[in-house]
Amino acid sequence: MRDTNLRSGVELRDVSKSYKLKTGEVKPIINGLTTTVPWKNIGLVGRNGAGKSTFLRLLAGIIQPDEGEIRRNASISFPLGFRGSFHRDLSGIENVRFVSRIYGQNTEYIVDYVREFSELGGFLNEPYKTYSSGMGARLAFGLSLAMDFDIYLIDEIMSVGDKNFQEKSSAAFHERMKTACLYMVSHSMEVLEEYCEAGIMLENGVLTYFDDVSDAVAAYNDLF
Amino acid sequence: MTQAVRDYYSASVAFGRVIVALVLREARVRYGRSRLGYFWAVVEPAIMIAFLTVVFTAFRNTQPAAGGSFAIFFATGVLPFQMFRTSSTRISSALEANRPLFNYPLVRQLDTVFARAVLEVSTHIVVMILVFTFQYFFFHASPPADIGMILIAIGLLAALALGIGMIIAVITQVIPSITEFYAVIMGASFFLSAVIYPLSVVPSYYREFLLWNPLVHGIEAFRAGFFAGYRADDMDLSYLGLFALSAVAIGMIADRIVTKDET
Repeated sequence: MRDTNLRSGVELRDVSKSYKLKTGEVKPIINGLTTTVPWKNIGLVGRNGAGKSTFLRLLAGIIQPDEGEIRRNASISFPLGFRGSFHRDLSGIENVRFVSRIYGQNTEYIVDYVREFSELGGFLNEPYKTYSSGMGARLAFGLSLAMDFDIYLIDEIMSVGDKNFQEKSSAAFHERMKTACLYMVSHSMEVLEEYCEAGIMLENGVLTYFDDVSDAVAAYNDLF
Repeated sequence: MTQAVRDYYSASVAFGRVIVALVLREARVRYGRSRLGYFWAVVEPAIMIAFLTVVFTAFRNTQPAAGGSFAIFFATGVLPFQMFRTSSTRISSALEANRPLFNYPLVRQLDTVFARAVLEVSTHIVVMILVFTFQYFFFHASPPADIGMILIAIGLLAALALGIGMIIAVITQVIPSITEFYAVIMGASFFLSAVIYPLSVVPSYYREFLLWNPLVHGIEAFRAGFFAGYRADDMDLSYLGLFALSAVAIGMIADRIVTKDET
């Protein structure tokens, strides 16, 4: 079992990030923030455009802060189910191998896991462009769950596949959660309260941390 | 201290891993789609050499300046030039083509650029070996006189391709049409880079201008390495080296600026 008190997930020092809109308006997401995001299941709430996804991407290191320093004490996943990197001319297996390689994971284990999990059978050797949207999602979801990370990022959980596949995904996901934790953006308060312990609210460039996700949800509801 | 060493070590390991993964992926996408993929990499310069040979043998009675046969002489110009042109062009589109991969924080912009450089240059070295081996057996070409010099020429041209490719790649982010402009420049460069003639036959007035072109020095160096006694008096490898190094430096700085701006 993981010990949530032992480790911090991500440390931020004087971190600022803002968006410049085409109109010239500057929209801050966080401003000179120094904090430690603990290694816990954390739900992110905030209005549309408050910068939840951007904050998640900052934590992951996908984008760089305008100023300040971010230190990661744990390995962080790409957004769960991400498939934008899949090359249309490469087969499912080749795409999976590539991601596994850059993260230095056991490629054969990952391929076997995805083969078993995705139930795509012979299609795994066909070019990705021949996949339906649902098939692509299964491949991406299988890959995300096969990879070993300390922290999984979820930007809006999506349901993939039929009921059977969903149950299987849910089981695999809960298995992962025994040793890892997640940072999650969702507009569904039920989902956040189900999966998360703590919460973070982003509003007008100010970040507020709540030890209990219910308090974050309550604060979010007060915005309206 | 130990933390810094460990960070550096793990960063180097990750860098190597990412480059290998990218090279394998690029090779598969570039050459793996059709069975003719890699074959074409060889056939394209071969056709160009054959075409030039036929044209020059038909219309000129003179012997080439070096190598005893037009086919061999053109090969020593066309192959290094093609290496530079193809590599720099492929590198210049590396950022655009690999944009989705930057969602993996481990993949940095420069990695995609290096991966393309590695793949293109090594492919062209294979092509050179194949063409020259073929010519050795069928045209009685002499084996290269000075392999060390050839490797220096390849290395410098590769560095130049990397630098120029990076600069174009960064400019493409701002002015996408730069790639078409670059293609036109490269078309003209074919005639301005001592590819189909030795530099020594150019009248000195024009030669002064050609010497500003860094490619000229790389291709002359390649020939000087290939043919024993080839006269390359005006060749200046330190000029080419400095040019290539500056291009790489400018490319890396520009890459940093663009990375920072990106959201």
